[in-house]
Amino acid sequence: MAETIQMALNRVEGDLEVKVAIDDGRVTDAWMIGTMYRGIEKMMAGRAALDGLVITPRVCGICSTSHLLAAARALENLSGATVSYNGRLLRHLVLGAEKLQNDVRHVALMFAADLTNKRYQDKALYQEAVKRFQPFSGKSVIEVIQASKKIPEIIAILGGQWPHSSFIVPGGITSEPSGADLRQCQMLLSEFRRWYEKSILGCSVERWQQVKSAAQLDSWLEEESHFESDLGFLIRCGREFGLDRMGSGHESFLAVPEHGLPGIASGGAVIGGVASQDNITEFMEEKISEQIRYSHYQDTGKGGHPMDTATRPSVPGDSKAYSWCKAPRYDAQAVETGPLAELLVNEDPLFQELVQPHGSSALLRELARLTRPARLLPLMEGWFHDIDMKAPFYQSPGEFIEGEGFGLVQAPRGFLGHWLQLSRGRIEHYQIIAPTTWNASPRDDLAKRGPIEEALIGTPVQDPENPVEVGHVVRSFDLCMVCSVHAVTKNGSSLGRVHFGAV
Amino acid sequence: MRTAYWLQCGACGGDTMSLLGMETPNMVELFQEQDLQMLWHPSLSSATLLEQEKLVENLRSGRQPLDILLVEGFVTTGPDGSGMYDTYRGKPKLSLVKDLARHAAVVIAVGTCASYGGIGNTGETGASGLQFVKEECGGVLGKSFRSRRDWPVINLPGCPVHPAILKDTLCMLSEGRMPVLNEWQCPEDWYSMLVHQGCTRNEYHEYRVEEEDFGGRGCMFFHLGCHGPLTYGPCNKVLWNQRNSKTNAGVPCFGCTQPGFPQEHAFFHTPNIVDVPLELPKGVSRAHYLAYKGMAAAAAPERLTNRKNRV
Repeated sequence: MAETIQMALNRVEGDLEVKVAIDDGRVTDAWMIGTMYRGIEKMMAGRAALDGLVITPRVCGICSTSHLLAAARALENLSGATVSYNGRLLRHLVLGAEKLQNDVRHVALMFAADLTNKRYQDKALYQEAVKRFQPFSGKSVIEVIQASKKIPEIIAILGGQWPHSSFIVPGGITSEPSGADLRQCQMLLSEFRRWYEKSILGCSVERWQQVKSAAQLDSWLEEESHFESDLGFLIRCGREFGLDRMGSGHESFLAVPEHGLPGIASGGAVIGGVASQDNITEFMEEKISEQIRYSHYQDTGKGGHPMDTATRPSVPGDSKAYSWCKAPRYDAQAVETGPLAELLVNEDPLFQELVQPHGSSALLRELARLTRPARLLPLMEGWFHDIDMKAPFYQSPGEFIEGEGFGLVQAPRGFLGHWLQLSRGRIEHYQIIAPTTWNASPRDDLAKRGPIEEALIGTPVQDPENPVEVGHVVRSFDLCMVCSVHAVTKNGSSLGRVHFGAV
Repeated sequence: MRTAYWLQCGACGGDTMSLLGMETPNMVELFQEQDLQMLWHPSLSSATLLEQEKLVENLRSGRQPLDILLVEGFVTTGPDGSGMYDTYRGKPKLSLVKDLARHAAVVIAVGTCASYGGIGNTGETGASGLQFVKEECGGVLGKSFRSRRDWPVINLPGCPVHPAILKDTLCMLSEGRMPVLNEWQCPEDWYSMLVHQGCTRNEYHEYRVEEEDFGGRGCMFFHLGCHGPLTYGPCNKVLWNQRNSKTNAGVPCFGCTQPGFPQEHAFFHTPNIVDVPLELPKGVSRAHYLAYKGMAAAAAPERLTNRKNRV
């Protein structure tokens, strides 16, 4: 029973190394190498049914609320428990808050730090980039540190603390916020909006929403306050440094349906699906599989659906396996997930047009991420308004004894799924596929590259000793925590490694 | 100027969020005010490939002095003591931890994982804290380890560490002062009060008005697995994110600052004998507790039994 439960949490967070082959100044091949195994899923074997609500948020310090929500949804999916309307609204609010802090932190602290790289010191916008994004001292860096730590206060008011609370439970949430609590949250949201409009957009959210085509984006950019805003600067700088012409990949995009939000689905919440160059298809959970030929796991013969696959670590050394990350695939395809995928699956006219000429790019992913708050803020304001103070925030779901279920969440970095099997009230099987597992996956059983590996192909590298361009592409996927780049020249000699911080 | 290096091992990054969440001063202000230079943080630094390589080599060999080493996450010793579940440059990160600790003036274990193994303790990776494995002193650095200033590892447990604790400790160390440590090598100033103290449900606890399900206002100690009266930490004195605490929001305390975290038995369940928790608040005798709680329950005012008081 218990000993058959195998759960490895592979590289959804932690150290990643990137190995790239460079020929004639361009990346010709790439390997994403997860270098650490934490075995979180394994820890859940034999534990009580609800224990995932405490263990799985600890998968990730920056998206702990998303894991908590996925864990609660998996239990609800298993038992058929329903969630109170207020509970659903508050869950979407805290998930939205987690995205707000993630999006501005990622762009200003993790991604844009590379724009201060000495590789660009001769560029016209270099000095301005340093002024804004120099780690620990840049003007935008300091502002973002201050603004982004106010937003988790919303999650703390509703759920006790951020990160690593366990306030989302099957049936709703554990707290019972008062009207005063909710008003405090709304004030925090308004404060964030004021700062975001002033510093990031340089205009109101409503003005940004009018930008629906590439031509409108260019004319928006020419207006002075936009030209000077962080978003305006990122676009100008990204274009000058060439970030709009690197990082296109498989061009298949996956987003999770944001179910459970009655009456709001048409108002901008994410409709799930898979977008490719030809069409958009409806999301079907059963089309997900995990493959492990190139991962450090004992080969069980073949990959499979996460409800069926076992996870047994093997000691590194196998000739083919190179990563602790598994290779999740959708309908046998490697797909990319994240804010850009959200937009393309939802047929956003601006981003559909921007992706047309050269495919996706490092810059486009960052634009999708940095403008996500503009899409989320009006929704979140509406959700606060819709809360019915006379209705419950929690309804008892009953006991969890037997069965299986899954919980899906469109997390800050994209698709997140938890799969769970219970037997006699104990966890028998737990599998997690996190956004980074999709994006940073190694090759699959057919030796097809993962999304980041593919996106790296063709990336120009001016100086192999300072391969900052590789960093742009990898970081544009908003990976968790540290990745290291291992640059390899054509003859295979190692040039060492650089660490890229990306939370 | 003092220097610091932030090393991530088996971590979720939650303690880095505590670093980013510090207030008055915030992270940037603290570094400026204390003249502290963060030589490297994996999420925040932008050193080039060669600069970072050189830095690590210089620190490892002691050529470049390091004042404060901060370690986030448990240290992986598996499989079979090899440490190969977590590697740096193809070699176990375990050896990097030891090398850096040997040369650092002060070593801080940031969070419960680095302190005692934490969340890694229930897994198969051979997780270890820097100088403890759960309650047992030792860990990967060994019981007799002392940093260059002749100090043991300073443990700052919490999952994650409370931002105020991290901030205060960094300020003290930057000024060359050592916090007074308790038997678990944690600063006494922060770990000498129980999470229970200051919980907004205290009155419900006092009169033994209990909840058996989520969503209520009563005490969670008797049935829902709350460890507030058993756990040392300032969660209800210095609130999280300046706002709240888990217990106030209806989430049981899971004892995340304790060396034994996480427990093996169900989180949302209190093991009981005759309706009284197996584990009683620190230092309380069972017979007295039974008598006291029986009387308290009988004396409970209606505003509590009806859950009229908000928490």
